[in-house]
Order: sequence, then C-alpha cells, then structure tokens
Amino acid sequence: MNSAIELEGVGWSAGKAFELQDVSLSVPVGSIYGFLGPNGSGKTTTIRMFMGMMKPERGRISVLGRSVPKDMKQILGRVGYVPERPHVYPALTVAEQIGVHSAHYELWDQGWCNELIDRLGLDPTRKIARMSKGETGKLLLLLALSQRPELLVLDEPTDGLDPVVRRDVLTAVLDYVSEKNATVFISSHLVHELERMCDWVGVMDGGRLVAELPMQHFKNGIKRLRVANAPESAVEVPFTLLSRTPDNGRGSIETWIVRDWEAPMRHYFDGVGATVRDIIDLDLEEGFVELLRSSRPQHTNGG
Amino acid sequence: MYKSMLFLHWKQIKYALIPAVVASFGLPLMVVSGLGIRAARGTPLEAYQIIGELNTWLHWFPSLASALGILIGLSAWNWDHAHNHVYALSLPVSRFEYVLNKLLAGATLALIPFAGMWLGAHVASAAVDLPVGLNAYPNQLAVRFLFAMLLLYGLFFALASGTKATVLKLLTVVLVFVLLGSLGNEVLADYYPVFERVHMVEYALRTLIEAPGPFQVFSGNWALIDV
Repeated sequence: MNSAIELEGVGWSAGKAFELQDVSLSVPVGSIYGFLGPNGSGKTTTIRMFMGMMKPERGRISVLGRSVPKDMKQILGRVGYVPERPHVYPALTVAEQIGVHSAHYELWDQGWCNELIDRLGLDPTRKIARMSKGETGKLLLLLALSQRPELLVLDEPTDGLDPVVRRDVLTAVLDYVSEKNATVFISSHLVHELERMCDWVGVMDGGRLVAELPMQHFKNGIKRLRVANAPESAVEVPFTLLSRTPDNGRGSIETWIVRDWEAPMRHYFDGVGATVRDIIDLDLEEGFVELLRSSRPQHTNGG
Repeated sequence: MYKSMLFLHWKQIKYALIPAVVASFGLPLMVVSGLGIRAARGTPLEAYQIIGELNTWLHWFPSLASALGILIGLSAWNWDHAHNHVYALSLPVSRFEYVLNKLLAGATLALIPFAGMWLGAHVASAAVDLPVGLNAYPNQLAVRFLFAMLLLYGLFFALASGTKATVLKLLTVVLVFVLLGSLGNEVLADYYPVFERVHMVEYALRTLIEAPGPFQVFSGNWALIDV
C-alpha cells in the first residue's frame, strides 16, 4: 500500500449548484497532505466521499488499502476525524463525551487521552455547551488522536481559532505524526498554516483538483518572470505557463506566472529570442492565488 | 455501544422522562383514589359502580402510553439531525448496528415508565377491597401499557430517522388523505346516503385500531379492575 487515500475519477453533483468533477488524488502513506482551496471549492465534499458519508456517482475510492464504502467499518476504526463543524454532544461534559466516544474504538488509548487532556489544558468536568470554540477544537482533536489512528483527517481544524490554540492544535498533530508515523490529510483555506507542516499539497477549485504536487515543488516551482520580447504563442514550453500579462507601460515586457520552474529552463527563452529580466519567487499564498486564477475559465470582455 | 446510546438518549430526555414515570406510577393510584373517596361517603361500592367509576379513567392509559412512545421515538434522532449525522457516520460501526443499538436503547428507556406503571398498578390494586366477582389485573395493564408505548415508539423512531423532506412528504400524504377523505365524504353523501353516517377518516382510524393487528392494543381492555 503506497497511498493512504486514493481517489480515481470521483464525480458527484448536487444539481446545477455544485459538481465534483472527476477528482483523482493520491495521498502517500506517512505524508502530511495539505488540501487547499477556497470556501465552496469541494474540499469537505471530497472528504465526505472518502469518509464514506456520501456516495460518489462515479469513480473509485480506497482508504488504507481498503475499498470505500464496502469496508467502511474497518477503515473508520483506523481513522481519526475532525469535521468542519463540531459534532460532539453539547449536553455532555468532556469526560462523558470521551466515555461515549471511546466505547466505539478498539485501539483507544486512555493513558494517552489523559496525557492529552493535561497537555491541551482541558477540564474533564466542563460541559461542552459552555466551552469556547478553541476548547471544542482541542476536544475534537483529542478524540481523534486518542484512538491512535493510522490516518488523521482534519477538515479545517483550526478555522476560527486564536493563534495560541491553533499552535497547540498543530503542535499536537505534528508530535503525533513524528511518534506514530501516521498519515495526515488536512484541509484548510489558510495557506500559511499548511506551508510549514505539509509535504504534499492538493488544490481544489470549483469542484476540480487543479494541482497535486510535493510542497517543495509548490513552494519553489511557482515563479513570476518578467520577460522581454516574449513570443506571441508559447508552445512547447518546458514549464507550465499559468498566465501571461503585459507589463503596463513597459513596452514589450510581459509578466509570466509559471509552474514547475527549474533554472536551466531559462535557455528556452534564448531559443525563442526572448530575455528573462527577473525571476521572482512567489510565496505560497501568491502561488496559490495564481494557480487558482489560471485554473478558472477566462472571461472575455463584451462576451 | 449500546450503553453509550442508552446514556446519550437518557441525557436528552431525562427531564421529560422523570415526570412521565411519576405520572405512570400515579395514574393507577388516581384511578382507585376515586373509588376510595366514593366509598368513604357511604356504603361500600357495588361492582357495577366500581366498573363505572373506572371507565371514566380508561382513556388516560393509552393516551399516556402514546405520549411517552412518541416522546422517546422523536427524541432518539435529535442529536443526529443536529449534526447532519456526521458523528454517527464517522464511527466504526455499520449503519444497521448503529440503528439497532439506538432502537434498543430507546426501548430500554420505555421500560422505566413501564416499571412505574407496574408498581403503581400493584400498589393501587392492593389498596382496594374488591367485592366478590371483581379482580385486579395490574400485570396485564402494565404489559398493555408497555406494548402500546413500544408500538408508537417504533413508529415514531422510524419516522424521525428520516430527513426533514421525508417527514414532510409523509405528513403531506396524511394531510391529503384527511382533507380528501373529509371533502370526499361530503360529496359522496349527496349521492350515497350511507356516507352521511360513515365518515371515511374516522372509519379508517377506527379500522386501524379495531381490526386485528398491533394497533388493536389501543382499543382493548385497559381496565385495572374488571370482572
């Protein structure tokens, strides 16, 4: 088993409002996979597909080497899940919720759970209805980690949390991963949050997976080039051209946003009579924005 | 898992269930207290007077059983709906197993008012000096109470398990039936005089609880004391 999660051509539609379009992705075992995308891009729907909560109309899904939804019971026993919205029972105390939850998991580690309660500063006697968003977020993570999962699926786990709690939550995840060598699938629209921890990135937009690549490529491979005397048509380029726009007021200079860039590719421009004036590294957020911009259909004026 | 389900369901309805248990225990006592008051005013009551007095209370038993069955059934899925079933679906249990455990947990809770009714019926029976020819049936009453409660619990458990759209569709069907039945009755009565005496909706309801079948429990004998 090389992939902890594998989707092949998964499609689903909710009428005309939204469609998941043939999503194929592969999450390597032991990796921390960041699932990026703007709100409404299909991240949660994709997660619900491979968590067996929704049934795809087409395509094939496997998680931890087992088929979804056929082997869901066996899969979910090895997966820790933190959903987008808290799904715990507000009328229970922390200790009661832990008791209810732990009854379903064979691998539940109560010692580790108690340690996490101390570490995350949770009060077992506190009623969930009276807890802050940050405390609820910590409890959800505690429930997911205490079952000693091989795969952690975190759907916007730090959304709305203050920076201190966010750091606590992410530190707990990283500590667990380093100890257990688990796979983490973390969805977020906060690009910087994933930059420091992920080694793979998938980017969703409009129900499509528009990119899937190692984080290193994503961070270093997206560049802004300032090109003088750029050719009219960019065919057979050795990189992926995401966009090209004329540099206002600078004559024949254009700005190109490219992906999969490597230094020797500069020679391509010599071959077509162009010159690269500047090569600028984009930070992850800029790269993400450019990636989304290039993946969206272009609107023509007066269309 | 069953214990978790039971605990969760109990947490949801304990404040409603506790007074319901008190009512289940108290109802048989109230029934016989009327007999005691009447007896204290004069000579001991005749058998037909006792039966007559008890008959005025009979409809309270199926009504209480129905209310409790509906309460337990509707509350079973409250939290699941509130979270769009996300928690349940993320647990490593099959859907069948989850529903079965939830159903059994609710049925277990129904045993609490049943116990109240059983105890109340026994205490009430022991408190009355019955004339010759009359007998007390506390066990039968309590079992009938439990059966009626479980029947409506099962029905409303199934109903509440559906999405809001499903529940709406079912209620629409019932409403359309009632409306068409009532309107149709008036139209048909112009042509067929028999429909002046027979109301279709009422007839359907009566058939449901009087025809052989589980619903017959509601039209059966709910008397604590009988010949």
